[in-house]
Amino acid sequence: MNIEEIKELIQLANDTGVAELEVQRGEHRVRIQRAVAQREVVLPAAAPVAVAAAPAVLAAAAPALAPAEKDNLYTVKSPIVGTFYEAASPDAAPFVKPGDSVMAKTTVCIIESMKLMNEIEAEVSGTIVARLVENGKPVEYGEALFTIRPN
Amino acid sequence: MSRVIWRERLDSTMTEAARLAAEGIPNGTVVAARMQTAGQGRQGREWLSASGDGLYCTFILRLAEVPAITLALGLAVVEALTPIVGSGLDIRWPNDVLWQGKKLCGILARLEHGVVLAGIGINLNQLQFPPGLRTPATSLRLATSKTFDAEEVLNQLLGPVDQATQLNREEILRLFAQTSSYVSGRRVRVDLDGSILEGVTDGLDEFGFLRIRKENGARETVYAGSVRPLK
Repeated sequence: MNIEEIKELIQLANDTGVAELEVQRGEHRVRIQRAVAQREVVLPAAAPVAVAAAPAVLAAAAPALAPAEKDNLYTVKSPIVGTFYEAASPDAAPFVKPGDSVMAKTTVCIIESMKLMNEIEAEVSGTIVARLVENGKPVEYGEALFTIRPN
Repeated sequence: MSRVIWRERLDSTMTEAARLAAEGIPNGTVVAARMQTAGQGRQGREWLSASGDGLYCTFILRLAEVPAITLALGLAVVEALTPIVGSGLDIRWPNDVLWQGKKLCGILARLEHGVVLAGIGINLNQLQFPPGLRTPATSLRLATSKTFDAEEVLNQLLGPVDQATQLNREEILRLFAQTSSYVSGRRVRVDLDGSILEGVTDGLDEFGFLRIRKENGARETVYAGSVRPLK
């Protein structure tokens, strides 16, 4: 991965409005966080990391957004530390997926913390743009979970 | 003071409690059923709920803070059951209540629109359990050779739950470490919904999450998942 590619990724993050993205090519991994106006570059990756979500985020977000819209996205953040679940059970359909319309009270995911299933609400009505966390992965306090384009 | 709503039969006390909570029912209300047709366990698993076999109930709790509430609920169950079975009770993190190493009670809570729905299932009168359970189970009857009425056991649980929900996090963690043999020095395997973590338990962190020390010395913190003992 060269500096031009990293610049492109930063530009892409800015254009699409994603809070954070992480991409791995071979042994190289780059993570870009927009929310804190910080660019963190880690080379090479210490271990394989899961980045499957990042391309999906971009694919979902990029075509839908004009630059003027980028600052209007709402980010749903985790209120607690726990494990992210996209569905009520392993066999159930996800609560929401990109493109779905949601109301403020719509449940978008569960964060499990010590067998307390925290149902996370969209908080705004609009359209789901991207899911930013992989199913079953731990999340930190304040970690971005979804972006929503409010209506 | 808790108010108890008894139903002969429900699909799940969790579903009924959620419906009542949405209608604005007061803090401390308990929904209980003689039997459930679709009792809920973790990750979509079923909680077996035949009539007369167990206590199936959900507490509706409107709390200002939710500090380690599920740990506190396990403490409340131990408090309520100690006069019945005496010694031998243990809590497997975060809140499975065991008697002589077998599961006596399961607790599963949901935080929904700001209200905690705390589901508690206690095995009362079973003499045997179906094969294939993830943890060997037991019942109050197997522990004491007596039979139990769900309403009486629930009445014994109301006070301890009320007290447990008023504890602050430091008190909960201190009491939990005194009550649970799983907090430190226990060799365990943790199923993290896909990946497996093995090691020795190494105390709780400031929030109540379980710390594990792996064989290579690395430490990990468990937020959720099934903890099982290793011989």
